[in-house]
Amino acid sequence: MEAVELRVGFVGAGRMAGGLARGLLRAGKVPASSILASAPSDKNLDAWRESGCRTTHCNLEVLQESTLVFLATKPHILPGVLQEIRPAVGSHHIVVSLVAGVTLQTLQRLLPAGTKVLRLMPNLPCVVQAGAMVFARGSGAGDGEAALLKSLLSSCGLCEEVPESYINIHTGLSGSGVAYVYLFAEALAEGAVKMGMPGSLASRIAAQTLLGAAKMMLESGEHPAKLRGDVCTPGGTTIHALHQLEKGALRATVMNAVEAATNRARDMAED
Amino acid sequence: MSVGFIGAGQLAFALARGFTAAGVLAAHKITASSPDTDLPTVSGLRKMGVNFTVSNKDTVKSSDVLFLAVKPPIIPFILEEVGPDIEARHIVVSCAAGVTISSIEKKLSTFCPTPKVIRCMTNTPVIVREGATVYATGTHADVEDGKLVEQLMASVGFCTEVEEDLIDAVTGLSGSGPAYAFTALDALADGGVKMGLPRRLAVRLGAQALLGAAKMLLESEQHPGQLKDNVCSPGGATIHALHFLESGGFRSLLINAVEASCIRTRELQHLADQEKISPAAIKKTLLDKVKLESPSLSVASASKVSLFTNKSPSSKND
Repeated sequence: MEAVELRVGFVGAGRMAGGLARGLLRAGKVPASSILASAPSDKNLDAWRESGCRTTHCNLEVLQESTLVFLATKPHILPGVLQEIRPAVGSHHIVVSLVAGVTLQTLQRLLPAGTKVLRLMPNLPCVVQAGAMVFARGSGAGDGEAALLKSLLSSCGLCEEVPESYINIHTGLSGSGVAYVYLFAEALAEGAVKMGMPGSLASRIAAQTLLGAAKMMLESGEHPAKLRGDVCTPGGTTIHALHQLEKGALRATVMNAVEAATNRARDMAED
Repeated sequence: MSVGFIGAGQLAFALARGFTAAGVLAAHKITASSPDTDLPTVSGLRKMGVNFTVSNKDTVKSSDVLFLAVKPPIIPFILEEVGPDIEARHIVVSCAAGVTISSIEKKLSTFCPTPKVIRCMTNTPVIVREGATVYATGTHADVEDGKLVEQLMASVGFCTEVEEDLIDAVTGLSGSGPAYAFTALDALADGGVKMGLPRRLAVRLGAQALLGAAKMLLESEQHPGQLKDNVCSPGGATIHALHFLESGGFRSLLINAVEASCIRTRELQHLADQEKISPAAIKKTLLDKVKLESPSLSVASASKVSLFTNKSPSSKND
């Protein structure tokens, strides 16, 4: 299927859906006129209309008008929505669920047999096209659907196919992980403020530091331990600071965080 | 070439053993001296075929390369004693932690105008020819003198030249390093025993694991972090174990250890520079230390052996 002919629908029009749509638009993957989003109220839909997308309050319309349909509701809403749209789901549809904690098994149970279902776990920076996304395919989805999704969503950041079991880990690493980074950035800035730098400047520099380091890691492909070593001149400032981080067992604490979030995601998942 | 050791303790023994095993030096070309003939290493040296004497002067006279293999506080007194016998031909190699080249040159220059001094920091695995040695050359030591010492020390492991100001850090890392490794190995073996392995096997396997890992790192271009990752399969045993290590601050403990050893070396050097210790006190502490090392005494494991004060509850006043 040509991406240009693709008609994309969003059931639910909140932040995640908006972020993905914005990514697709910015990358020119899909014209705005090919995007249709539904939501119960107009609250979220205004922004979509401003970008040139079409909007509706009718979920069934999204199914009727679109081939690639993103389900982006809150978890407790989804079962009701699936029941509602089920009659309109056909073999030509590609259904991609963004709904946290709802397994492929559940989705496939609530949709017609053989429906091409995929499950996507994005993260917040998708809204600025620097997301980290993983997706898993259900039994009805094939290589073509996976390739299409990957190609489309690369416009929003890093997009990789994984076994479904990795999705909860992705939550712990990158879904929640974004918050860990915010915490770290805040702490960095606070340290700078303590040492005499104004807060807003410190904040911007902290963010840029994280951005730059991440960019180097992604572009060089080098092991972070090696990159870290490259920054550490013997007896210099960096190694002194790193020692403080090691004394605080930062590594173990971060591992604990990823583990806790992953376990929680597993607990919260249905079935 | 003949080599002499002032001091016949662990270091002299380890180096003599290493040199002879490497075949760079015949045992009879080695002389070692010490006033204390009861040291266990003395009989070891004798058995090797090394010439043992109680006269430091004899050692100096019969050596081209002279290793000062005594404890740091003893160095000044040794230099006073053998200074008159040091000639321009001698290469004086000090292995004493924290003792600077300039302090040695200063002491010797009253006897010999241009003493060749080389300072080295090595470690005990020279005994199995896997030592880690660095050296710095003094004012009057030529490039060839350095190379000669490097050749000797390279026969018993890794050896490279460094600037003198790095030697304290080397002490903290590879000088003390084997002790960190022994501690780790003891604990690893305990872990093995706890999980059901016989002690001997646990020790053997633990040591081989560290040996193998070290070898891999030395032979690899890869960062140790990468090599670690290569062992950690997702969700597997190793990563679970590593999490425990990280939780315990394993890395920072090791950093702390290297730092503490390096700082202590500098402190000792500082104290030595001030030469605050009287010869009588040296003799006393040396004797006390020898007594403390004796297996017939039990020493509380928490008590620190200090070369400068006598804190052991069980040592006698002599």
